[in-house]
Amino acid sequence: MMNVALIGNPNTGKTSLFNALTGFYEYVGNWSGVTVEKKVGKLKDELGQLIDLPGIYSLNPLSEDEAVVSNFLLTEDFSAVLNIVDASQLERNLYLTLQVLEYGKPVVIALNMFDVAKGRGLKIDTEKLSLYMKTPVIPVVARKGTGIDQVKHYLREINAENQEALVIHYGEILENAIQKLIRQLPDSRLPKRWLALQFFEGNKPVWELLKKHVDESVLQKIFAETEKRIAETESVSSLDRYIRQIRRQWICNVLEKAISHSPDRKVPLSDRIDRIVVHKVWGMPIFMLLMYLVFKFTFDWLGSPLSDALDAFITGPVTNGISSGLEAIGASSFVKAVILDGIVAGVGGVLVFVPQIMILFFFISLLEDSGYMARVAMVMDRLMEIFGLNGKAFIPMIIGFGCNVPGVMAARTIEQPSERLLTIVLTPMMSCSARLPVYTLFAGAFFAENQALVVFSLYFLGIVVALVMAKILTSTLLKHKESVFVVELPPYRVPQGQVLFRSTWEKGKGFLRKAGTFILGGSVLIWFLSYAGPGGLSVDMNESYLAMIGGFLGTLLAPIGFGTWQAGAALITGFLAKEVVVSTMNILYASPDISSLQGIIAGSFIPLEAFSFIVFILLYIPCLATVAVIRKETNSLRWTLFSMGYSLAIAYVISLIIYQGGKLLGLG
Amino acid sequence: MTLADIQPGKKARIVSIENVNKLVRRRLIDLGIMEGSIICLKNSLPFGGPYTLEADGQSIGIRRREASLIEVSNL
Ligand SMILES: Nc1nc2c(ncn2[C@@H]2O[C@H](COP(=O)(O)OP(=O)(O)O)[C@@H](O)[C@H]2O)c(=O)[nH]1
Repeated sequence: MMNVALIGNPNTGKTSLFNALTGFYEYVGNWSGVTVEKKVGKLKDELGQLIDLPGIYSLNPLSEDEAVVSNFLLTEDFSAVLNIVDASQLERNLYLTLQVLEYGKPVVIALNMFDVAKGRGLKIDTEKLSLYMKTPVIPVVARKGTGIDQVKHYLREINAENQEALVIHYGEILENAIQKLIRQLPDSRLPKRWLALQFFEGNKPVWELLKKHVDESVLQKIFAETEKRIAETESVSSLDRYIRQIRRQWICNVLEKAISHSPDRKVPLSDRIDRIVVHKVWGMPIFMLLMYLVFKFTFDWLGSPLSDALDAFITGPVTNGISSGLEAIGASSFVKAVILDGIVAGVGGVLVFVPQIMILFFFISLLEDSGYMARVAMVMDRLMEIFGLNGKAFIPMIIGFGCNVPGVMAARTIEQPSERLLTIVLTPMMSCSARLPVYTLFAGAFFAENQALVVFSLYFLGIVVALVMAKILTSTLLKHKESVFVVELPPYRVPQGQVLFRSTWEKGKGFLRKAGTFILGGSVLIWFLSYAGPGGLSVDMNESYLAMIGGFLGTLLAPIGFGTWQAGAALITGFLAKEVVVSTMNILYASPDISSLQGIIAGSFIPLEAFSFIVFILLYIPCLATVAVIRKETNSLRWTLFSMGYSLAIAYVISLIIYQGGKLLGLG
Repeated sequence: MTLADIQPGKKARIVSIENVNKLVRRRLIDLGIMEGSIICLKNSLPFGGPYTLEADGQSIGIRRREASLIEVSNL
């Protein structure tokens, strides 16, 4: 069995190659660094495993997800590296390739985007490249599947033994220092020369490892001495720059021999698009218009009719079918109650929103895969800067509209640690699609005329709260030195239909899974707690356990406008997943479908209370899954608790202002 | 002369990126933009917003403040 590591720069088509080689699907996006998790796929033809690593420019890591690759090379066992290289950006891509070749494992180089390179008038002699790199180089067009068989062929040829590492001469001073350091290193399976080079480049994970074997002061001394001697004799001030210079010279020499340009170069399409979408004047309006269209499609033009149809289907044929089925097998009234009042009401109430959620995810995938997302970071940067963030922080927030969990994870591409932390903590303020069912329920019941406006105001409120919080936090707890911004703008690419649909499905299936697990379980539990009480089973719902728990919360919530036990109970369950609020209400108000639930709710809230309630739902707490991912990403219990605590406090204050203020204005 | 002084659409050669913020500098270097690179200022966003630069077919965005720390010379 072979373990092949897939390594390459961001946006080189790594995900596409991964999919072409492994046969099972993986998320594809075009935004720099979209592949943030370690993912493993089974190579076709029983070749072994392919491990997908985050896209990086250099082994020497700058951000969190970049360190993943260094750590992988240091700690994991693997048989070969598949290095994907963007043929249209060879000079920059080969830098990483060199570092990988210096490691000394067998490497296969997939020269991807060969079509793009050709279009740009580049003539690449792959055989020459292969000769200099001493390893197979294969032209590939991953998105079309060209060259994939060749890649597999060479992977199959690899034998497990270590390939001889590529050796470049780094000049006498550095070479001597390398030898000196190597003598101090203990024997291990790790290549010593590579370790030494990475050490002198300043690779942190490598420093950490070497510190375990060599005295830190010794390391520091070798490093400082070498750097000083280099600075004396060369024109560069730091070691990493020096090493880079040597490597680049080497690469340029190779490329000079292996590449020729044809003279005709026209203005690339991307440039022409960019002249419009990041235009001085039009950039922002275009972004706003696109967002508006996305929301219109999701909620008005396409989503609502589909949701209504699905609702009719679930409450009609599905419920009737199950009910007569249960009748036919002679199920007891208890079982019937669990299934119909608990599961069907709870799960069905949420499934209805799947079309809207899928449509939203579709558009997010479209924005990502086309390359537009990076432009959004550009357009939003000036605004975000005012609040102490940078334009890149806006991308997790947009993804957060779909679901906060991937939103929080997308913050990994932010270089500055404090800005990243801030983005993680604020992303849950973005109104995710799980909150949508709650808004739709209430907006439909109370503000049918202005439904879109009310829903839009909630999305907007979430953004405003996040930005204001950002400002407050950057001037208090997270006073950081300086916010920085640099973003790679990948060329626009026409998204492929199949990729888009798969990517939408990948994102959206989480909701279906949730419906089958959390929501199913939650619904049964809620139903049971409302069915049982101190007085036994099948009690009046107002005498149930749930009424007791909810009632206690209700008293706390009375000042903000919804002191009923049902609301209290719904909020507790909403922590599991926001959409469970709807399931809970469906069960608690024993309503057969969403439209009759709207009728019931219209009778038990007044509009002002309803608005206060949905604002509270928007802000009050990140859902369980989001809390878990915040814990993982921040690696800090304190910040996790903070993210929960501050949302509760803010939600209470804002709802209080809305409700009490509204009453003063005579709206109550 | 710095990058912030050149006209949109014009090219210049980078003389030094030594003063640029460390994180930004690393990323520029990663993307192949460093001393000696020829860089084109493609456009800028309003209200002191970021610049779009291009070097060797690669577009990137950086803030104006950072651009004003990149020393360039005319070609
Ligand atoms: N023209 C062309 N486009 C490609 C090729 N491979 C991938 N792409 C496109 O490049 C974009 C980025 O690809 P992706 O696999 O997400 O790259 P990653 O970010 O490195 O994982 C997508 O829009 C792909 O469809 C290729 O060989 N030629």
